[in-house]
Amino acid sequence: MSNHIVENLKHEIENFTAQLKVEKVGRVLEVFDGIAKISGLSDIRSSEMVTFPGNEVGVVLNLEEDSVGVIILGDYSNIKEGDEVKATGKILEVPVSNDIVGRVINAIGEPIDGKGVIKFEKTYPIEKVAPGVITRLSVSEPVATGIKVIDTIIPIGRGQRELIIGDRQTGKTAIVIDTILNQKGQNMICVYVSIGQKDSKLRKLQARLEEGGAMDYTVIVSAGASESAALSYIAPYTGVSIAEYFMDQGKDVLIIYDDLSKHAVAYREISLLLRRPPGREAYPGDVFYLHSRLLERACRRNQEYGGGSITALPIVETQAGDVSAYIPTNVISITDGQIFLETDLFYKGIRPAVNVGLSVSRVGSSAQIKAMKKVAGTLKLDLAQFRELEAFAQFGSDLDETTKKQLERGKRAVEILKQPQYSPMKTEYQVVVLYALTKGLMDDIPVEKIKEFEQGLIDYSERHAKTFYQDILKTKMWSDKGEEELKKVIIDFKNSFIVNA
Amino acid sequence: MATISNNNIARAIYLSSKDKTGQEQEVVIKNVINFLVRRKLISRSKDILASLKAIIYQEQRVVEVKVWSKEKISEENKKDLIQILKKRYGDKKFILQENLDDKLLGGLKIEINNESIDLTLRNKINKLQEYLIKNHE
Repeated sequence: MSNHIVENLKHEIENFTAQLKVEKVGRVLEVFDGIAKISGLSDIRSSEMVTFPGNEVGVVLNLEEDSVGVIILGDYSNIKEGDEVKATGKILEVPVSNDIVGRVINAIGEPIDGKGVIKFEKTYPIEKVAPGVITRLSVSEPVATGIKVIDTIIPIGRGQRELIIGDRQTGKTAIVIDTILNQKGQNMICVYVSIGQKDSKLRKLQARLEEGGAMDYTVIVSAGASESAALSYIAPYTGVSIAEYFMDQGKDVLIIYDDLSKHAVAYREISLLLRRPPGREAYPGDVFYLHSRLLERACRRNQEYGGGSITALPIVETQAGDVSAYIPTNVISITDGQIFLETDLFYKGIRPAVNVGLSVSRVGSSAQIKAMKKVAGTLKLDLAQFRELEAFAQFGSDLDETTKKQLERGKRAVEILKQPQYSPMKTEYQVVVLYALTKGLMDDIPVEKIKEFEQGLIDYSERHAKTFYQDILKTKMWSDKGEEELKKVIIDFKNSFIVNA
Repeated sequence: MATISNNNIARAIYLSSKDKTGQEQEVVIKNVINFLVRRKLISRSKDILASLKAIIYQEQRVVEVKVWSKEKISEENKKDLIQILKKRYGDKKFILQENLDDKLLGGLKIEINNESIDLTLRNKINKLQEYLIKNHE
């Protein structure tokens, strides 16, 4: 046996030829806080990868007259002055393969979930120019989030970039977890990029996704709070490169950046350490470009160029509801709309705490199915009128019939749009419930009974309004016959519901 | 006012002292030191000198070659080495700077103009180690 090993080794050694080549080298001048200043390294390019002794990797960010500034990805405690640094001639790349699905990796593509090595097929550069105009297609396919208020009022399409913005503890991550959970069977790969988050939070999220069977189509890229700012800086680019790998196979990908305010903070740290001049809120001048070049890589490609799409859901955390701070305004202007979450609504019990007035989706409505568009249009109007009247109604009680009616309708609409966490709802159920609401068929149900009615209606209609459901699944719109049937079913159910109550 | 880079100062010193006789050069050097003191740049003199050296070498077609080896290189080998370097880098004057390092085990390591050619045994063993680990992971 041991002879066999020796023979094998001998064979390997005989076959081995050390490839010796001329390498570009430099020497470390100084190292501090994850940054290294290096002399030499002539002819190096910006964002080129360099290697330090001990195989630590760095990325060149600053090219100065007689030194280069490098961010070190990984442990920099063993790097010292005078160490030899080698140029690799390559832009930073991440390894990718189909085996990556279901795994948790760090910002440079190494697995951190203890499930063994990942066999990689090839590498993708982390910085890439976004697809051009002719390769793109406008948004027309929906991303079903399973969250009523989003699917109806602020719909998201495949290839769209929709910002989720709000204060801490308003349920931003909850929305994206629900969205990932709802992608089961929707032919979607999800990439969740966690930037500067607590490892405990990430672990909880991973467990939750595993429980819901969502890890079968999800990749988690993590740059934790304990890791260096350099890793937080590159993590979203790593995530989008992985997404591009799947898009290149013609798949639809959903990528979530949680969150970009921490990303901007990490980049600010790096920039200040590299002595780049600070600008507004001490962010460097190119912080807009930092996010725009990232989010621009989200796209929907036409069939000629392989199809596939990347839908991006960046998250930005605001401080005390201030959306006019630097990073929020930047990202709002880059994305195709925002979902605005509010603390007040959250504590009023309206969850998800989406502020319907301030949230928009600039391109998503063209991705909605026809039936949904039909019911959502009136809902939007109902809610807008409700908000306007609500303020007035507090002053007096003498209200005319129409106003009273509108108020009652609005109250029911708000109630219907409430949805507990981890309970995504199928599009066809949403259509049924909203149909009942907007046609005024729920107006005589007491507000506190609405939730109960909703659940009952879904169960009952699924059994009795088969034509309607089939219409929706086949043609994305109801037929006259289906509508008649549904109307009858809703009234039947309501009668029995009121009697039972 | 924008700061003047070491390279700029070194180039200025080089140009002003170029083609000057001994006495004139002394004046130039005095002026340079006065300038550095007045502009509070004297702390950068070490870096400026390094830049100046690089400029002079470049102008005079001199190349500094750092060589690491385990044992002292014989005169014959040195001549061969310079012949090889001439082939690669053109007809220039090569100044060999020899260093001894026991850890290299054998062979040579040459560094020239930010380029390094590692022909030592140590490097080959490291490469072999990497190769074997990679193939048997």
